[in-house]
Amino acid sequence: MRLIRELRQDSKLFVLVVVGIFTAILLGILIGDKLYTPRSLMSMAYQIPEFALIAVGMALAFLTGGIDLSLVANANTSGIFAAMVLKGRWFPGLSEGAAILVAILVALVSSMLFGLLNGVIIGKLSAQPMIVTLASMLFISGIGMALTSGNAIVGFPDAFTNIGTAHLFGVPVIFIFSMIVILLFGKALSSTSTGRRLYLYGENKTAARFSGFKVERLAMLVYTLTGLFAGLSSIMIISRVNSAKVGYGEAYLLKALLVCMIGGINPDGGEGKISGVLITILIIQLLTDSLTIWELSPYSKKLIWGAMLLVIMFLNHLYNRYRQKRQLERTVKGVS
Amino acid sequence: MKFRRLDKRIFFLLGIIVVYSTIVGLKNPYFLSIQTVFDTIRSSSEAALVALGLLVIMIAGNIDISFPAIALFGGYVTVVIMIATGIDNLFFAFALSTLFGVVLGLFNGFLVHSLKIPALIITLGTQYLFHGIMTTFIGSATYGAGVMPKSILSFSAKQLFQIKLQYGTTGLTYFVIPVVIAIAVTWFILYRTMLGRGIFAMGNSEEAARRVGFNPLVIRLFVYGYMGALAGMMGIIHLASVNAVYPNALIGTEMMVIAAVVLGGASFSGGRGTILGALLGVIIINLMNNTLIFLGLSSSWNNFCVGALMVISVVITSYQERLENRRKLLFTD
Repeated sequence: MRLIRELRQDSKLFVLVVVGIFTAILLGILIGDKLYTPRSLMSMAYQIPEFALIAVGMALAFLTGGIDLSLVANANTSGIFAAMVLKGRWFPGLSEGAAILVAILVALVSSMLFGLLNGVIIGKLSAQPMIVTLASMLFISGIGMALTSGNAIVGFPDAFTNIGTAHLFGVPVIFIFSMIVILLFGKALSSTSTGRRLYLYGENKTAARFSGFKVERLAMLVYTLTGLFAGLSSIMIISRVNSAKVGYGEAYLLKALLVCMIGGINPDGGEGKISGVLITILIIQLLTDSLTIWELSPYSKKLIWGAMLLVIMFLNHLYNRYRQKRQLERTVKGVS
Repeated sequence: MKFRRLDKRIFFLLGIIVVYSTIVGLKNPYFLSIQTVFDTIRSSSEAALVALGLLVIMIAGNIDISFPAIALFGGYVTVVIMIATGIDNLFFAFALSTLFGVVLGLFNGFLVHSLKIPALIITLGTQYLFHGIMTTFIGSATYGAGVMPKSILSFSAKQLFQIKLQYGTTGLTYFVIPVVIAIAVTWFILYRTMLGRGIFAMGNSEEAARRVGFNPLVIRLFVYGYMGALAGMMGIIHLASVNAVYPNALIGTEMMVIAAVVLGGASFSGGRGTILGALLGVIIINLMNNTLIFLGLSSSWNNFCVGALMVISVVITSYQERLENRRKLLFTD
């Protein structure tokens, strides 16, 4: 009941749900016999978590009027750090269990530090998030590249790869875990005071500053959190794929931007909900799998994703203009 | 006041070049020769062309990451057309590739102007779109030196003048001609025309530029069209320098050019940047990419070093801007 009430209040979310159901049914009619098999659904459930966390990280940066282009690079390099520990190249002499714990810790801490680096430059030096994260994308992936020379680090202990492959009642553990993290995060955004502050910070930084918010700390918090999302994602990636390398998941960046655009997050900041992002992630994953089933070349996939991003931005633009016009009409009516 | 700071940045960059060259020269005495100068000019010319375009876009307060896709599109389609029609003329190649570049650039400019969404996201989309269209509808075959038009091949071998060394000769490539022309044109547009004033004005404040009578649409279309033209030229130079055309070439090189322009002191928020700075940035990045190996670092350290330089220069630029804003009691950043 609550969901229905929320849908009636939020027209954007309503449109999104309709679009999602429509896409799912359309794909079901076209290739349902291949797309909705238990095996394919299962592989989807394994692939969603790593991308979902990156997309939510991007959504958080978007909400605050920023962007984090270093997310994928951060996930890869943190994954490489963890892999170095797992292979015993760093902290040699640990027992297997201890190595796994240390590896996870190293991945999380390093990803948060990379995020904090972004946050400090953005917060304390008022640099534009876009250029900062573009630079740190190059820098962070450069660290991974320098460590591995571009080669993949493969072959981790079974106990570690189990994290990525384990399932509970037929549902992958990483899927359950990531959904819990994202839902908790969405709840925190909408109903804690820090969460509401982030919205105001995204809407109008100057107003937030003069309302007595510690905006510099907020920026650091935001980018440390996006870093943490990348770190969580990195552990899932390397334990699922059983390898760590620079350049994994390059399409994730564009897809994450696509998710934010479709999910109703305003790139100017201050507007959008995690529930929208979550629905969009499912739609995007359905489409990704459909493209795989159609056996399209990587080039045509590129064309489709690029065209989709542009079309979505165009539709968003039309919608915003329509909304502004309606608002104007309403105000005019109210005055007269 | 303003001049002094710009000069500081130039001196800083020159200092980096001198110190870095000295270190490499100590490790490898052959490095300090006229040959290196010519080689650097030759290998920098591609990046220098698009760096000029990117500089103009960044001064106007925008960004473009689709230019490698534009350059590849222009170069690739030109070669396909030249092979199909049998026309073998260098000027035709440049004209055609530039034309394609301008069209794609105008498309970028129009989208950036009308969608009111960060240009980086739009051009990321168009990068995928251009490359996808090229490889899906035009072709994804590789053309090697055997089938490449002869005029393009001979362009890369030509030299303006030659100098005799102890062993063999070395010379300045023809590649330098389009670069010098582009530098002159860019300088003229930026500092000697009303359009140039409009570009700077829009980078500082679009609203203010609109109110003094500049048309933001025209300026956007111009800067992206100009970038497209330069990218189209770069496409042909790239073909000439590798003597082949691959369907995946160039894609991913945008970061190095952005790093160079940012290193050269262009501000991401617009309104600031110099031609000399951008060119020195290109030379530094190029030197690092080619000579890190002399310092005992493999080529996999490239991204790390360039990334670190880029982070440092973003920090310096934005810190200066912040100090200036605080002095003027501006807290809007």
